[in-house]
Amino acid sequence: MTVINYIKSTFFNWHKLVPASTLALYRILFGGLMFFSTSRFLFNGWVHDFYIQPQFHFTYLGFDWIPYPTPLTLYVIFAGMLISCLGIMLGLFYRLSAITFFILFTYVELLDKTTYLNHYYFVSLVAFILIFLPANHYFSLDTKFGFTKESDKIPNWSIAILKFQMGVVYVFAGIAKLEADWLIDAQPLKYWLHTAHHWTFFGELLKQDWVAYFFSWFGCVYDLLIVFFLLNSRTRNIAYLFVVVFHFTTWMLFPIGVFPWVMMVGTTIFLSVSFHEKVISFLSFGKNKNFESSISNTNFARKKVINYLFAVYIFIQIIVPFRYLLYPGNLFWTEQGFRFSWRVMLMEKTGYAEFYIHDPVNKTEWKINNRNHLTSTQEKMMSTQPDMILQYAHHLKNTYSDTTIRFGSEELNFKNPEVHAEIYVTLNGRPSQLYVHKKHNLAAIENNLSNRYWLEDFKE
Amino acid sequence: MNVGLILRSSVLLLSILLTAVSCKEDEKPEFDRAGMLANMADNLIIPDYTSLNSSLNLFYTKASEFTANPDLTTLAALRSQYVLTNNYYQKCSMYNFGPAMEQGIKAAFNTFPTDTAQIEVNVASGIYNLFSVVNADAIGFPAIDYLLYFGSDAEIIADFSTNPNAGLRKLYLTDLVSKMKNEFLPVLNQWNDSYRSTFILANGNDVASSCSYLLNEFVKDVELTKNARYGIPSGQQTGGATLPAYVEAYYSGLSNDFAFANLTALKNCFNGGSGLGFDDYIKDVEDEDVTESLADKINSQFDVCINQINNLADPLSNTIETDVQSVSTLYLELKKLIVYLKTDMTSMLGILITYQDNDGD
Repeated sequence: MTVINYIKSTFFNWHKLVPASTLALYRILFGGLMFFSTSRFLFNGWVHDFYIQPQFHFTYLGFDWIPYPTPLTLYVIFAGMLISCLGIMLGLFYRLSAITFFILFTYVELLDKTTYLNHYYFVSLVAFILIFLPANHYFSLDTKFGFTKESDKIPNWSIAILKFQMGVVYVFAGIAKLEADWLIDAQPLKYWLHTAHHWTFFGELLKQDWVAYFFSWFGCVYDLLIVFFLLNSRTRNIAYLFVVVFHFTTWMLFPIGVFPWVMMVGTTIFLSVSFHEKVISFLSFGKNKNFESSISNTNFARKKVINYLFAVYIFIQIIVPFRYLLYPGNLFWTEQGFRFSWRVMLMEKTGYAEFYIHDPVNKTEWKINNRNHLTSTQEKMMSTQPDMILQYAHHLKNTYSDTTIRFGSEELNFKNPEVHAEIYVTLNGRPSQLYVHKKHNLAAIENNLSNRYWLEDFKE
Repeated sequence: MNVGLILRSSVLLLSILLTAVSCKEDEKPEFDRAGMLANMADNLIIPDYTSLNSSLNLFYTKASEFTANPDLTTLAALRSQYVLTNNYYQKCSMYNFGPAMEQGIKAAFNTFPTDTAQIEVNVASGIYNLFSVVNADAIGFPAIDYLLYFGSDAEIIADFSTNPNAGLRKLYLTDLVSKMKNEFLPVLNQWNDSYRSTFILANGNDVASSCSYLLNEFVKDVELTKNARYGIPSGQQTGGATLPAYVEAYYSGLSNDFAFANLTALKNCFNGGSGLGFDDYIKDVEDEDVTESLADKINSQFDVCINQINNLADPLSNTIETDVQSVSTLYLELKKLIVYLKTDMTSMLGILITYQDNDGD
C-alpha cells in the first residue's frame, strides 16, 4: 500500500469506530508519565529554583497579565497537577482531570520563558487534545463507578489526531534538521558527543567525527521517516524498536530529562490494537473486557463541528513552525519564530552580556550586575534570546528610573535611564561574535513581533 | 523482515565499527578529563596549597616578631613576608571550590577595598568577632595591607609601639594573620586526605563535576581582575567616574604586582602547568583543520593582558588619576579574554551551569 493510501485509511475515515483499548492505554501511559515528570520536577527542587527564587519573570508575549502565584500557591498548583495526572491515568473524573491538568501545566509554563522546552509544549498540546477525547470510556474508574457509559469502540479521529500530533513533532523536527550546521558540520552534535560525560567505554568512539555525522544524518532521516514506518503495519514493530533505541541513546548521552520518555510513550499510539489489548489485559490481571454494545455514532455526533475544529487545529500545527519564513536573517541568530517549531537539539548557543544604564541628562552611567536581577539560568537563557534581552532591558529601566546609586564616594542619579548592552555570542562552534552593540537604547525598542533590526549581522 | 536478522546484523555492524575505531590510529592528542584533573590536583593545586600553607606559618612568625619588637627591620621583614604570602595566595585563588569554598577562603583572604574605619574601630575597642559579617571588609590581606603601609615607616612603627592603642593594634594584626593561617590549614589537610580523590572521580562535565567547578571558578577569577582590580577603579562601573582608592593593595601600591601574579597563575592553570590542562581539552574537542586553535587564541590574549599589566606604572591608584586610558585599554583586553572563556570555551567544552533539562533551545 502506498503512503497516500495509508494516510487515507488512517486519517480520512475520521468517524469510523475503532477499538478503544489504544486510547485507554495511551491515557494511562500519558497520565502516569506526567505524574512521574511532575514529581521529578518537585523532587529536584525546581519549583523553587525556577519559579520562586527569581525576582523577575520573562513572560510570554501577550501573557503579561497572568497573575504570578505565591510560593504556597505554586505548591498547591503542583499538587493539583499530581492529582489530575492520577485522574487521567485512572480515568477518574477524567474530563475534569484533563482540563485541570491542561490549565495548571500550561499556566506554569506561561510564567517564564526561561524554562521553555519543546517537549513541554508538546505536553500542553496533548493535554489539550485529551480534554476532547473519549479516553475514559474504556478501562477506567469512571466507567467502573458508572460515571461514564462504557464503550469498547471509539471514533477513529480520537486516535488519528494523536497520531497527527506525533507526526507533526517528528516531521518538523526532521525538516528543522535540514540545515547546513547540522548536516554539513555535524554541529552541535559534534562537540556534544565529544564531551558526553558518561561511558568511558564509548568515550573514544564518541570523539570520532564520523560518529557525529552518523548521528546527525541518521537523526534527520529518522525524524522525517519514522512516523511513516510506524503507520505501516508491517514495519511498525521494527520501527518502534528503533524509537526505543534512538530515544534511549539520546537519554544516555544528553541531559534532556523526560523528553525521550515522552516520545516513547507518545509513539505507542501507532502500535497495533492487539498490543494495546495485551497490555490492558496484563494491567487488569487478565480480566479482559469483551463488551459488545458500543455507543452509537450519534453520541460522538456533532460530526461537522469536530471536523471544523480539528481542521483548524491541524492547520495551525502545520503553519506555526513555518512562521520564521516571514523574517529576514538567520533563524538561529535572530530566533524569530524559533520556539514552537520543534527545533530540537539544534543549537549550542552561549552568550556573554554586559548591561549598562545611562542617563543622558545627568550624564551618569552604571554597569549592571546581572546576578542582582536574574538567576544564573535566566542570565544564561537571556543572553542569547533577543526577546528576553529586550524584556530584561525594560525591567532594568523600570527598576532604575528615579533612583540614586551610591558607590564609594560617587553618587549617581538616574531619572530616565536608557539601557545599553554589549553582548557576544557563539553559535554552533563558531568563534564568538558581537550580538548586540552598545549603541542601542534597548529600553526604547518595543518587544513585539517586528523584525529585530537591532541585532548585529550574522557572520556565517 | 526478520527481527532477529536485523538485530544480529546490527550487532555485527557495531562490533566491526568498534574494532575499526580501536585499530584506527588516533590523530588527536591523547586526552581524558580524569588525567587533567589528576594533573591539576597533583601538580598545581596541592603543591600550591602546600606552599601557601607554609608561607602563612612564616607570616605568623614574622608578625609575632614584629609585634614583639616593632622596628624598621622587623617591619621590613614582615612586609616582605606579606608580599610573598599574598603572591602564594594569588597563585591558587582560582581553586575556590570544595574545601576552599567551605572555609570561605576567598572572601576571608582578599575582600577589597578594606574598611579602614571598621579596622580602627576594632583596634580602638579591642572587642571584635572577625567572623562576623560586620567585619567582612576588615580582614585578610587588604586589612593587613592597610596596617603595614598606611603611612610613613615612622608613623607605622609608632602606631605599633608608642601609640596608646599599640597593644590592641598588635593584637589585631596577629589575630588577622592567625585567622588566615588557621582557616587555611583544613583546606590543605582535606586535599591531602580524601578530597583529592573526590575531585578526580567527579570527572564528568555535569554541574557537580570537578571540571565544572574548576572552569567556573577559573572564569570568575579572571573576571575579578577585569572588574574589581581594573574596571571599578578606572570608572568602568560608574560611567567614567574613577575610584582610585578601590584598587587592590591600595596602601602598599602593589596592585599591579598581585594582578600580575594572579593572571600569570591563571594562564598556568589554563595550560595545566606542563601537563594536561584546558588547552589540551580544547584541542581535543576542536576540529583538526581549525586555522587557529581557541587554546592558542586564549593564550595569546593572556599574554597581551599580562604584558599590559607589566607595563602599567605603579602605583595603580596614581596611574588611574594620571593616565586612565592605559587602564581602560587593559580593561578592554581583559574583556576580550573573558569573552573567549565565557562563550567560546564554555560552549565548546559543554560545561553546564545548571541542572535544568536542556533540549538545545
